[in-house]
Amino acid sequence: MDFTVTFPALVAGRLVLAFTPLTQYLRDDHLLSSPLTSYARLQEGVYLFKHGIDPYSGSTFRHSPLLLSLFSTIAPLNEITAPLLWTASDALAAWSLVHIWRARQNSTSTSRDSLIVALYLLNPYTFLPSLGLSTSSFENALCLLSLMLACRKQASAAILTFAILVQLSLSSILLLLPLLLLLISNPTSQLASPHFLKADVWRILPLAGRFAAYSLLLSGAATLVCGNFSWLGNTWGASLTLPDLTPNPGLWWYFFTEMFDHFRAFFLMVFSVHLLIYVVPFCIKFQHDSLYACFLLLGVLSIFKAYPTLSDPGLFLSMLSLFPETFPYLHHPIVTALLHLHAALLLPLFHYLWLTQGTGNANFFYASTLVFGMANGSALLDSIWAGMRLALGEVQEGYEVMQE
Amino acid sequence: MRLTLKHLLCLCLGIVASAALSEEFNEELDLRPLPDGKVAAWFSFSTLLKGATPRDTKTLGAEDESQLYTLFPLALGQILREYAVTELHLTLNAGKWNYDRWGYPDESGVGTGAELWAWMGENGPVSVDSRWRGLRNALAGLFCASLGSLDEQRTTSPVLTFQPEGFLPNRTASYQLRHATLPSEHVCTENLTPFLKLLPCKSLSGIASLLNPHMLLDADWHGLGVHVRYVEGAGVELRLASQAVLDPVRISREKRRDWSFSALFDRRIEQACPVARSSVIRVWLPQNETYAIIPSPTAMDSTYATYVVSEVEKPLDVAIRWPEEQNFEYPTAIKPQTHISVHRTLQGASQHAGRLALSVTNNHDTELQAGYLETLPWLLQFYLHTLHAEIDGVRRDDLVKLISYTPPLPHVQPALLQAIVTLPPKRTMQLTMDVVKPFLAYTEHPPDAQRGWDLPPAVFVPFASQNGSQAGSYPQQSAVCSTRMYTPVLLVDLATPDFSMPYNVIIMSCTLIALIFGMVFNLLTRRFVVVRVDEKAP
Repeated sequence: MDFTVTFPALVAGRLVLAFTPLTQYLRDDHLLSSPLTSYARLQEGVYLFKHGIDPYSGSTFRHSPLLLSLFSTIAPLNEITAPLLWTASDALAAWSLVHIWRARQNSTSTSRDSLIVALYLLNPYTFLPSLGLSTSSFENALCLLSLMLACRKQASAAILTFAILVQLSLSSILLLLPLLLLLISNPTSQLASPHFLKADVWRILPLAGRFAAYSLLLSGAATLVCGNFSWLGNTWGASLTLPDLTPNPGLWWYFFTEMFDHFRAFFLMVFSVHLLIYVVPFCIKFQHDSLYACFLLLGVLSIFKAYPTLSDPGLFLSMLSLFPETFPYLHHPIVTALLHLHAALLLPLFHYLWLTQGTGNANFFYASTLVFGMANGSALLDSIWAGMRLALGEVQEGYEVMQE
Repeated sequence: MRLTLKHLLCLCLGIVASAALSEEFNEELDLRPLPDGKVAAWFSFSTLLKGATPRDTKTLGAEDESQLYTLFPLALGQILREYAVTELHLTLNAGKWNYDRWGYPDESGVGTGAELWAWMGENGPVSVDSRWRGLRNALAGLFCASLGSLDEQRTTSPVLTFQPEGFLPNRTASYQLRHATLPSEHVCTENLTPFLKLLPCKSLSGIASLLNPHMLLDADWHGLGVHVRYVEGAGVELRLASQAVLDPVRISREKRRDWSFSALFDRRIEQACPVARSSVIRVWLPQNETYAIIPSPTAMDSTYATYVVSEVEKPLDVAIRWPEEQNFEYPTAIKPQTHISVHRTLQGASQHAGRLALSVTNNHDTELQAGYLETLPWLLQFYLHTLHAEIDGVRRDDLVKLISYTPPLPHVQPALLQAIVTLPPKRTMQLTMDVVKPFLAYTEHPPDAQRGWDLPPAVFVPFASQNGSQAGSYPQQSAVCSTRMYTPVLLVDLATPDFSMPYNVIIMSCTLIALIFGMVFNLLTRRFVVVRVDEKAP
């Protein structure tokens, strides 16, 4: 089908869904919005800000001051504007995804465009958080937009968008290195022919400096908005120290609910540093295809970040559609799909049984988050395998590809 | 003989004390029959330290002047001077005060549990907060109550609702209020005994001899209060108060509401307290009913009978009878006795979100305003943007005026909301707020985690509407001012983790992380090779 038809049709469909009363029930859902991305908390922050109370003096509001200034001035939040804004952000994300695909194929239009848009807009992991008005939709849109701009070699715009993304969600800083490498290398698929990075790696230094400058500028603007530095602890600090133990589909919340007090600081450090370990190995191994490194790091984030929502794995799974060349080499796609199906059914069910029905306890939900972690882990591992296995191509009958 | 010795001792002490400060002790008992057959008893024992002033905060580091009291309890005096407390109010109550049936209490502090508030001067060498900490720990020791738990997580400064009842000495320094409530604290014999010890005659003579723990703690509602204030020109006044709502119908076999001291308290006043300057019992008389009161009072008018304990014949056993009434019929409908009625509920069955709903009824036919104070510990966080008022199903957010709001901080401070609501005559306002329940780490739950957490009462202070032109036509409205009304406490049910799981969770989560980490690096570090698996292949 023609992209110019499917894209508007899908966005219109999403817009209709966004205005249904269904969205009311999705807003408080712990799977769709974390304390860092919840719509009710955003409204509370904007309300307090408008009434002259510092929203960061309490613990309810953990959104970035940039969102605070946006929604308290030019884009007031209400029942009409909010669905429009969130649908627009999803449309932007899907549009960016298609343009990443086109840049990767080095063509202006392909037959798979509609499929890729549909895979993003109809992915329940991304559209349910968006219907629940979780600001993680904005994070996804900014992430895809900066990747798209990087594929198009628009360095300033890409880095600025990425700096805004880091303002909203600190853990996205993991993508900085592969994004900068993507800016100096070729976005087209190089997975089949691994080679050393052709461009001069030192060219990323001025780009990193530009990122630092933009970040400083945005942080300065955020400080100006709040009048003090209290936003730092409440926004960035929250993803490092986990002050709010609200359940989410990730691994941190129950671990730190059950953690002994004297080990808390140590394990917080371990969990935060653990995320950083993956960056350099992925960038080295996939230096020929930085976009793939970005994709894998998004997979890592979706499993291991502090306050994940379903939209984080949603972004990872939707991006899978950019790499159809890896599909023949996937080890266990059926297992991954079944694990995801299993987790997708169990997560809302056990959440309901524990917190609303009162017939289950926290362990039920915790167990389903573990299954969800396994599902994401399995998808990540299979993607790494397929991304590297691709280089060896088809092997003859009687031969098999293994690792030494 | 014993009596004379005691008198002599008192006299000697009195002579010594009069050199430093003269003291005055007055006791009073108010007994008020309530429309539902119950009897409200209010004991008040006040000791006035004439000419004394609260300690100046600037002298806190230096040696304090020596304290020599005859009637004023030294244990309390030492605490007040150690922490330079200008005004202090401590109440320990059990039960829910039913405003609709019992009207305004004689002592306004009737919030369930412990409530402590104090005004303290600033600018001393010791900070207000550290003195507040010392004060509540000292009082916890003195009254055997868990006042030490009134920590920063429960302390606020709601100056609009808790104005000083006495005077604040006009020194250069300003004053600060500290207020905290502990709704789960319950008053018991162990609190009453130290309370009685602070009285000059203990519970041996005078009105205090009626304070029988067995009967008092069996009452439908009972509470103790310690109030210290400074009255300019007079001195420092300590008032120990005890309130109880007793049910003579429940005690009596014939289900009659007749009561006497011996029936209500199982005690009579055998002798007067010798050091009391005045010792008065006032009994509010039933209106428009046939009754008999014995013995004959010292003075009597249409509203109450007065007994001066030192003058009447002892043992004194005041009794009221309703001779025409065979047994007491509980009235089915009692007109609300207060200007406004407040009900507060926590709605929603889920353990992560809910709604706090208050229904405030104006029982009068003029417009009233009421100060609304909500101090919620961070165990329940409300969204201020969802605060809505409704009257008869119509949204009326204009009737709620926000005065101040302090957001909650986990483990640091509770939320403090002060607002003024305007109540149209004879209407009920529904106030609602969406709340979220936070999730606590397993070490933060109390041993009985499934019981839930008590929320402190909300406080309403009704006052006549300022723009109401008819305000003058209701003389009792001036009396409405500064009467705090407490809502009953609420129980909030928080989600609990599994308390037996810490090791399992650490092991299982770490296994998953190690599994993924290990497999990722296994894939990344080992070389890919093509091997021949079939011998026959070329």
